[in-house]
Amino acid sequence: ENLSIQTSFNAGDFSTQYLTENWLPKIEEMTDGRVSITLTPNGSVVPSRETPEAVAAGVLDGDFTSVNYFAGLEPAYAIMGDLISGYDTPEQMIGFCKDGGGEAMMQKAADSVTGGEVKVVACGPYSREALPARVPIRTFEDLQGKKIRSPEGLAAAVFEAAGASPVSIPFSEVFGALEKGIVDAADASAYVNNDATGLHDVAPYPLYPGIHSMPSMQFTINKAKWDELSEDDQKALRDWWYEAMYAMAAEVDKKDKELAERDAAGDKIEVIDWAQEDRDQLREVARKQWEAYAEKSDLAKEALDANIKYMTEIGLFKN
Amino acid sequence: MKRFLAGYADVMDRISVFIGQGCSVLFFTCIVVSAAEVVMRYGFDSPSSWSTELAMTLCATAWVLSVGYVTERHRHISITMIEMLVSETTWRRLRLVQMLIAAGAIFILALALWDPAIKALNRMETSGTALNSIQPTYLKVLLVVGCILYLFQLSANLVRWVQNTEGDVSGGH
Amino acid sequence: MGIEYITLLIVVSLLALMALGVPLGITTLTVSLATAILYFGERAGFFVVAANVGEVLHKYELIAVPFFVFMANVLERSGIARSLFDSMAIMGGRFRGSVAVQTCVVAVVLAAMSGIMGGEIVMLGLIALPQMLRLGYDRKLSIGIICAAGALATLIPPSVVLIIYGLAAQVSITKLFAASAVPGLLLASLFIAYILVRVRMNPSLAPIYDIPETGLPFFSRLRFLKGVILPGVLIAGVLGVIYSGVATVTEAAALGAVGAVVVAAVRKELTWVMARDAMRQTVLTVGSIIWLVLGAVSLIGIYNRIGGGEFLRGLLTALDIAPIWVIVVMMLIVMVLGTFLEWIAIIFITVPIFAPVVVDLGYDPVWFGVLFAMNIQIYYLSPPFGPACFFLKSVAPKGIELQEIFRAVLPFIGLQAIGLFLVLFFPEIALWLPSMLD
Ligand code: NA
Ligand code: NA
Repeated sequence: ENLSIQTSFNAGDFSTQYLTENWLPKIEEMTDGRVSITLTPNGSVVPSRETPEAVAAGVLDGDFTSVNYFAGLEPAYAIMGDLISGYDTPEQMIGFCKDGGGEAMMQKAADSVTGGEVKVVACGPYSREALPARVPIRTFEDLQGKKIRSPEGLAAAVFEAAGASPVSIPFSEVFGALEKGIVDAADASAYVNNDATGLHDVAPYPLYPGIHSMPSMQFTINKAKWDELSEDDQKALRDWWYEAMYAMAAEVDKKDKELAERDAAGDKIEVIDWAQEDRDQLREVARKQWEAYAEKSDLAKEALDANIKYMTEIGLFKN
Repeated sequence: MKRFLAGYADVMDRISVFIGQGCSVLFFTCIVVSAAEVVMRYGFDSPSSWSTELAMTLCATAWVLSVGYVTERHRHISITMIEMLVSETTWRRLRLVQMLIAAGAIFILALALWDPAIKALNRMETSGTALNSIQPTYLKVLLVVGCILYLFQLSANLVRWVQNTEGDVSGGH
Repeated sequence: MGIEYITLLIVVSLLALMALGVPLGITTLTVSLATAILYFGERAGFFVVAANVGEVLHKYELIAVPFFVFMANVLERSGIARSLFDSMAIMGGRFRGSVAVQTCVVAVVLAAMSGIMGGEIVMLGLIALPQMLRLGYDRKLSIGIICAAGALATLIPPSVVLIIYGLAAQVSITKLFAASAVPGLLLASLFIAYILVRVRMNPSLAPIYDIPETGLPFFSRLRFLKGVILPGVLIAGVLGVIYSGVATVTEAAALGAVGAVVVAAVRKELTWVMARDAMRQTVLTVGSIIWLVLGAVSLIGIYNRIGGGEFLRGLLTALDIAPIWVIVVMMLIVMVLGTFLEWIAIIFITVPIFAPVVVDLGYDPVWFGVLFAMNIQIYYLSPPFGPACFFLKSVAPKGIELQEIFRAVLPFIGLQAIGLFLVLFFPEIALWLPSMLD
């Protein structure tokens, strides 16, 4: 069985290459050749926003996409897709998906936008975005009055609640906006990608590890296709995906760290790592915004409660 | 019957032209909104969270709803090389074929767009942004409306073809 | 059925429908609907077409298209272009071929304001062509210059062709604009050099210009500069806004549209009727373009899903030739398609397949975009489907036939090809300006 899966990665991305080279051969090994996967790039078959329905209709066999795209279909996807300033590491959040009820939550969201024709196999993030800044933002208090480019929605709300003023400009304009000082900091991508696009040349005070965004992905399969697979192959697919995500998270983290250490050692760039108190302080402020956002639907509320319960369990919240 | 159909074609032409020319206003507003956003952002340091979505929605409306006007004026882009190669009668018949194929394709497209539009209406799909407008739902419904307008204008053009009252159809580019 | 047969079937149906004269948007929609339903059945087939068609309305960059079209329409309807031409003719002075050279220079300046081909050729056809014929310029030379130089509108930024390419290939439109400026000037210089050489070898092609003002000393001719100032400010404004990163290309286009209206108002040429007609023309132009985009986007989505993109990429990468020749092959394909297809359809059909191969081969997609836009220049002029020639025909004095226009542009197609190959083998011509901006 060859599964045609649309991703939210672009054709030339590191993640596409990494998965294609290292992980696509593994799923064939793990299922003795019974299952293989073809990954197609972002938007190549249907627009990213439409993948759940495309999987339901059988246009795609599955998707491997950032669930933030579906926030307009069901607000719970915004909570599940990127809980701004929530988890500290991707591993924590993969843990929520794998063992903390995240998958079941994601399944409920999928069922609410389709007729139960989509099986959520697994979910979780693989990287935490860094925050390139052109002025030092060393503490929570430093956020006060800073102009930060951020996508509309939860991210903008959290930055605003923390005293910054969010600016909404297209991603393509980030470099110019930082260079000209139109914004003080900008939501962009992982440290390694920001380094590659030269953002640190114009924004030499990157916040790393980041303080805001950790986009989460889902791996789904068309229910009919899923039911045709043997139980062993189903288990293999789920295990394969989590292994791949942990490996990719480790890989990105390694690259990020190497570059951040290199930059920290030089004198052109000051890598800023927030103290745990500052991170916790921002999380408390963010929590109010999550709660406000979760009012948008019952499912969003349920998704937030599940997250907070897990975060409390692993010690991110005290109560 | 003949007079009734001729009357229909006249009325449809007028509706399409009216809507199409009304689209000018939408484009104009769209220009003003986009230009004002730059002034607000850099002149007054207060960017809005809604200008992009509003500009997109205005432009999309004009794109889709201008279809009747474009069809009435025979301005759809096509290769008309063949017109120079065949006789006038053949070309007249070919134009009937063109209109029928267009009507068929747009009818099926309308069927295809129907379900997603109804679904979006039922669940009120929103943009998921700060504004969280109903833009996605609106655009899905808009496309269905555009297809219907296209079909009505095509049928008016068909009436004119049958009654030989088409006038200038050289439109092209 | 294998993907190679499906591909063949799709191409044959596309060609057949186009040959019948079916609108291009309807052609691609029909083929994509048929492919989708045959391949996926009704439910999934309907869904995939609807999803892709709907997505077009979410493409923010497309908004720049009506803005640039409107801007061009305002320039065309006001007297901005005419006074630009007069001023430059007087500034330029007397020498053999001066009016022809000035026409090229004016075309370049207009191209820096206009993002679409057509209006500019109409304008030059109305202003410059009668002038040149009256002065005794060679007909073929005059016609060729106007078509070729007028077509530069979509190579010299801003350019709607580059916007659509940027959308299809997912590359920065700002970089594309920066990269195409020098190649645009290169083509213009080739045209001017050609004129100067031709009139020197054969003086009967071009007499000396005899407007009295050109006899004035250079210093007193300077006051005629005023016709150049406002358009200059407008160009500097739009391009400055884009390259400084102050605004997106879309917003710069909006500023340009407002700027064009302001310039017309300052010159006391802004009337209600003029603005209204410019808007209505914009509605018609953009309204017809959007259906082409809808159809093409929908066809690409389905073709990708059935493995077509990968199939064609495989074909191209399996070619046992040096990478640069793969690019040459792509350029030849675009040239062939350009003889009968609309440019926007060419972009949407070829770019999603070519762009990943270009990147795989280690080339810059921005450079490829410039090559693409230069190829579109050839497409504008080449028979039998040469839109630039059609535009000139629509305003040319009686007695100038399409055949004559097609013959007149042939040497200029040669010059365009030379320019294309120069940029092909010396990518720095295109890439040094964007690399300076980085
Ligand atoms: Na231009
Ligand atoms: Na051509």
